[in-house]
Amino acid sequence: MKFTCNTKEIAAAVGAASKVVNAHTTVPILSNVLLQAEDGKIAVRATDLELTLEHAFAADITEPGSVTVPAKLFSSYLGNLQGGRLELNGTPTRASVKCERSNYDFHALPPDEYPPLPQATKGSHFTIGGKRLREGIEATIFAASSEEARGAVLMGTLLELEGNSLTMVATDGYRLAKFQTTLDDGITGTEKYIVPSRALAEAARNLGSGEVISVSALGAQSNQLQFHSGDTAITVRLVDGQYPNYQQVIPPKFDRSLTVNTAAFIGSLRRAELVAGDRASMVKLAVSNQTLIITASSDISGNAYEELEVEQTGEDLTIAFNARYLVEVLNHIKSAQTVIEFLGPLSPAAIRPVEQPEGGQQLYVLMPLRQ
Amino acid sequence: MIAHFDIDAFYASVAIRDDPALRGKPVAVAGSHRRSVVLTASYEARPFGVRSALPLYRALEACPNLIVVPPTMSKYKDISREVFAIFASRAHAIEGLSLDEAFIDFGPCSLGEATSLAQTIRDEVLDATGLTISAGVATGKMIAKIASDACKPNGLLAVAPGDEAAFLAPMPVGRIWGVGPKSQARLELAGITTIGHVAALDDAQAYRHFGSWANQVRALARGIDNRPVESDRETKSISSEETFEYDVREERRLAEVLRAQAAEVAEKLEREGLSACSVGVKIKRADFRTHGRQTHLAEPTRDARRILKAALYCLRRADLQGAPVRLIGLRVASLVPGEPLQTSFL
Repeated sequence: MKFTCNTKEIAAAVGAASKVVNAHTTVPILSNVLLQAEDGKIAVRATDLELTLEHAFAADITEPGSVTVPAKLFSSYLGNLQGGRLELNGTPTRASVKCERSNYDFHALPPDEYPPLPQATKGSHFTIGGKRLREGIEATIFAASSEEARGAVLMGTLLELEGNSLTMVATDGYRLAKFQTTLDDGITGTEKYIVPSRALAEAARNLGSGEVISVSALGAQSNQLQFHSGDTAITVRLVDGQYPNYQQVIPPKFDRSLTVNTAAFIGSLRRAELVAGDRASMVKLAVSNQTLIITASSDISGNAYEELEVEQTGEDLTIAFNARYLVEVLNHIKSAQTVIEFLGPLSPAAIRPVEQPEGGQQLYVLMPLRQ
Repeated sequence: MIAHFDIDAFYASVAIRDDPALRGKPVAVAGSHRRSVVLTASYEARPFGVRSALPLYRALEACPNLIVVPPTMSKYKDISREVFAIFASRAHAIEGLSLDEAFIDFGPCSLGEATSLAQTIRDEVLDATGLTISAGVATGKMIAKIASDACKPNGLLAVAPGDEAAFLAPMPVGRIWGVGPKSQARLELAGITTIGHVAALDDAQAYRHFGSWANQVRALARGIDNRPVESDRETKSISSEETFEYDVREERRLAEVLRAQAAEVAEKLEREGLSACSVGVKIKRADFRTHGRQTHLAEPTRDARRILKAALYCLRRADLQGAPVRLIGLRVASLVPGEPLQTSFL
């Protein structure tokens, strides 16, 4: 294969793909990115066998074909180029690159050993505005479990589809994030997919937010999901398993609430957390007389006391939370005011923006700490 | 004076206590399916070669009349709490080693006083639980433990100050702490078969066989053991290990041992008022290669099921592929005080 292209474009494509490569892989070819030159475009692909990212850009192709190059090495090299045009000449064992007055030969591995893209039958298909999908991903995936020992299901994010409605849910058992939005083109009936959260992070990073994103289930058992927009496609193997019944977790009714300025609340919590010590970062919230009092203390650091004016409904309440979890939720709320609803000191609390974002409906559930 | 206490054939003795029809018969406590391993064998079963960690089907081959009883962890924990309460009422310091085993420091007292205190504890344990507990009394921990092992079952053996070296001398060299089966085989080849042989080594010989550890091991062999009973030391990790009589290849059997270890570790966490943020598994293969795998938890726990789940994940990641295993251990670390505060809906 042989082509010339814009340096910035190939650097961006290889840079994005190299993020998918597993640095600890024991299969040599999986450390490489695959470059395929065909029909005036170079498709750059990387995979860790669970997640595949492919991005194409225009180039002048003099000889179609493929080459695989070590991802991290090649991406670092490209990132250090000044710009201009680049010429690449690929063989099964070598990739020769010329750019201005620099000449590099990279060791390559035979491209026919690279894992092929799944040539699977397409199942359900829907489209969604890029901005809405990104909003949903950012609003939810942080609440998924990061604990591998608890299994892939909780590390995933649930995509629940019904007609034109998409509900995204992530939870680790301590907090739950839910985002409900509408699709441009919906599906008939219902579908549930558990998507590895890091695949959604890649989708948010790489798929254009101005465009419409097309999403298809692949495979006879619909065990893969492909996100596609413009010249970029992300294919991910879905998590096989039963997602917890999240609706049971969200209390249908609350008897107390407070409405608070989001930024002021975050500021108070961040300061209080500093003295909360390392035991569960406990902050206590006491609501009474339209005032929220935030306290924290530890033997090592001292005591914290913060007062905020709030709009209170229902009876007084004292409840404790891990400040870290609470701040993380509030950081995903863009509304100036946040409402928190309660049932009691040991019951789940619901947190939502007073003004919901344009793209959908946000809801968080946070479990309290025992005091 | 220091004493080492160990309940005789703990799980099996509980089964026999609760079903007198089992008395005098070979009994093994083990899970119910065929691939289970023996957790404890009664003394009647031991002459047949039935020992802990032996696969149940092999135990049944060796002893066809073996009566197999399922374990009841909650009962063992309740008994353990009772026994440790008895220890606490008589001790200056207690160092718990497992549910049924502990070192006790009686403080400064004569051999006679310590022996009579140990006998009182043995009587109280028998009264309260119906179980016999063996005790070794000595000036140091290692000798106390060897003494209690030597007088089992239902024994009390005191080693008088000054008699330590003579008591230890005929014991096999593998009884010294830190001398495992591999070192033992190596030492035996060099003609060092008893603890007495180690005690008699000169400096150069000791160094050749034990390296930087020479002075310590020779002091132990001579009966000098000044390590304190450490009850108030800060616990950095809690673990439970098991060396198998026969190498184990089946992951399901390893998983079953981990299940018992998770219960034991969870119990220790509760007793010490701690929770753990990390769980690890140590595996020693038959070829003595040792692997460790550990995983971090998002929230601290003292729940046996959570600990087991994390341990099984570590076991899977060790990717043994049927390699024979001679030892498996479970360890929790990154300990924080108190019970977990974060509530969860899962």
